[in-house]
Amino acid sequence: MEAKPRVLGTTSKMIPLALPKGTDKLCELCQREARLQCTECRVTFYCDEEHQQADWVGIHERICQLLAPIRTPTLYSLQRAGRIETQLKKAELIEICRLVGQSKLSEGKHQEALPAAQFCLRCSIDLHGPSTVQMVPAYLLLAEANMGLGNLARVAELLSQAEWAVLKSPECGHAVRHRLHRSLGRLHTATGNLEAALLNFADDIYFASEEYSLDSTVTCGGYFLMADVFTKQGKMPIARSLYSQVAHTWHCHLTKLLKTHVQNGQNPNMLLESSYDKAQLVEVDEMLKTMLEFEQNDSRKDSTQVALVAHCLAMLWFLGGDSLKALGFGSTALQASQLIPNHDLTEPIQGLLQLVQNLQTESHPGSD
Amino acid sequence: MNATVTQPQTGPFLPEITTKSNKRRKSTQYSRMKQEKESLRTGSSQIISKGEISQFRNSPKQNICVELLREGYHRSFSELFFLLGADRDRRAAAEPGSNLRLQTPLDQQLDKLETMKRHLSRAEEAERTGSWMVVCDQRLLLGWYFSAPKDLWLSLHFYHSCTDREQGSHSRPATEARVCMAEAYLKLGELEQARQQAELCVKQAEDSSWVDSDGRPLRLRAREALWRIYSRLADAPLEAADYDQALKLLYKGYNMATESEDKQIEWEGAYRLGLTYQSAGDNDTAKQFFTTCMEISGTLQDADKLGKSYKAMAKSIESEGNIQDTLECLEKLADISRCNGLQHNLVDAFLCLGNIYHTTSQYTRACEYFLQGYEVACELGDVALLQKAQVLAANARAHSLIWKFSADVESASPAALRRLIAWKESGRHQGLYR
Repeated sequence: MEAKPRVLGTTSKMIPLALPKGTDKLCELCQREARLQCTECRVTFYCDEEHQQADWVGIHERICQLLAPIRTPTLYSLQRAGRIETQLKKAELIEICRLVGQSKLSEGKHQEALPAAQFCLRCSIDLHGPSTVQMVPAYLLLAEANMGLGNLARVAELLSQAEWAVLKSPECGHAVRHRLHRSLGRLHTATGNLEAALLNFADDIYFASEEYSLDSTVTCGGYFLMADVFTKQGKMPIARSLYSQVAHTWHCHLTKLLKTHVQNGQNPNMLLESSYDKAQLVEVDEMLKTMLEFEQNDSRKDSTQVALVAHCLAMLWFLGGDSLKALGFGSTALQASQLIPNHDLTEPIQGLLQLVQNLQTESHPGSD
Repeated sequence: MNATVTQPQTGPFLPEITTKSNKRRKSTQYSRMKQEKESLRTGSSQIISKGEISQFRNSPKQNICVELLREGYHRSFSELFFLLGADRDRRAAAEPGSNLRLQTPLDQQLDKLETMKRHLSRAEEAERTGSWMVVCDQRLLLGWYFSAPKDLWLSLHFYHSCTDREQGSHSRPATEARVCMAEAYLKLGELEQARQQAELCVKQAEDSSWVDSDGRPLRLRAREALWRIYSRLADAPLEAADYDQALKLLYKGYNMATESEDKQIEWEGAYRLGLTYQSAGDNDTAKQFFTTCMEISGTLQDADKLGKSYKAMAKSIESEGNIQDTLECLEKLADISRCNGLQHNLVDAFLCLGNIYHTTSQYTRACEYFLQGYEVACELGDVALLQKAQVLAANARAHSLIWKFSADVESASPAALRRLIAWKESGRHQGLYR
């Protein structure tokens, strides 16, 4: 049985020479001479099939209908009211692109996220101008996509433009600065410039603390990245201390979430709303697993830390819906918590394991 | 052909187009440019580094926080950030226009931020290596640094962080922090807290020969602090005339004072106890305590304290009604004050003596003493005091002159009136007007 071939948009050939003088149509992705035209909206052009398919998967499927009114100049669109309407539509487009790009990035599909990020950037430049503070999120998105693909030169370029935009507008908020510094830090870590990376992560944590709070999970992300740099520098005690801070914060956060989840468990309607974002789940899981590995490879086994991190992972997967993993991590946590002198983690872990087992027996009533 | 030889020969061949001065200027310009290029290449110290730029551009708070984080002291950063936030909240919660609002915010006081950064990072370094003594030491230093009245809350925070730790809270610096904390609470007026901390400190310092940074043994300092606290605590019951409660507290204080081996505060403790017993009406016990006071002032060679003890003793004896002993006591007081040049006490003594004689209707002697007191007060230059002495003297003189006739004045019978008129005309009353 053959799977039905996926329809990736329809195109029609066009002849560049047939266009009026001075109206060169450029490919959406590579800006070269275009030979194909999208039949749905008729305002998007591509140089070859490959680019058209990449764009369709990346973003065009979502925004095809919305492009036509923006790209066809009419008398109305040239007047003032029309211009304002166009701007609003562009802003909407930017938002959609950003969300699509973000979600693809969290799933790890960096190549697919490129068209969305690029379009977002181009649209933002159109709407706001090249170096304004509203551009920064678009720059950061594209930079992240390229970082995943390893194009560090391009990333450096984009981030320096973002930095320039931030420098020009000193009144931009702490959130923007913290994200910029985080991206810069990651770039420097990837290129090996560890001192600069530390400086940027320090700025990132400072701004994140100002914006969110000292013990929010966003600030924690910064601590985690910083610990990574210290590990590369070989300063293990600092890294260990940072990891324990991260574990502590996430532990509090997840315990709170678990509590509300259990309370809302009585009310099934609420359960749907409190579901943890899949993409974030993967990210946090990665982070916690790295920390667990670090602790287990460490010569001086710190059982408290192991128990904390394993407990966090167990809670995370319980909330994410994967009972097997939750059980696995839960048992690791239980083992480690027996070794701690004052045993104050054992109870919560056992409670969690009980919950997971209850859930399993609920879903498979016959298998107990 | 030798290339090196041909070079110098081609020079003078061509005529000199540029004048000598031009040539020199041109060459110096060129050499200057060359110099700059060299320095740009080698002297990176002439170009400002990114760190220096950020020092100019960012707020001091950001600079300090970023430095702490960069060096890996993230817990110090958290503590500092938390304290700055707490300071902000306090000022926001205060009323507009109050003292608290008008102070400079903590995040703009660079020297305080620098000090906190230095000591907190040292403490964190020590914490990582497990040297608890150093940690406590650093925090104690920070507690001392913030000893100004408006920073007492910061000081208390650091003292608490020193004493409330899991490890190292029974070390020498922690015990010293505890006694400082008790003193700080006393300054703030939170007597219950102060008492708890001081009592804990006394227990901790009990069997140790720890010495604080001024060289004073901690167990003695703790006891002194506790005595002061008990004294203050006793103020409230005294005002409410609850003598039992006050006496209980003062006794505890007195025990502490005796154990603290400091004679000064021992005297004060005994004195207060004596005064309280006096107000409560128990003059015998009061007298015992005053005798103790006198002994202590003797060992201390402090005439002022001795004088005070005598005065208090005299008051006690007077309330018992023993005039003779009172007079003796007051005479002794006068002697002591005279010998030691304590003029104020001398005036007091004279006035008291005069009062006693006045009450026992010995008006002439009363007048004498009042006059003596007046003279000393004149020497002292205390206008209020000498006016008081004047009034009392005149009063006594008047009484001394007419006491014979006071009965007659009261009865107002015709015979009495005739006697009064005779006395008036005899002119012996001239003394009254002097």
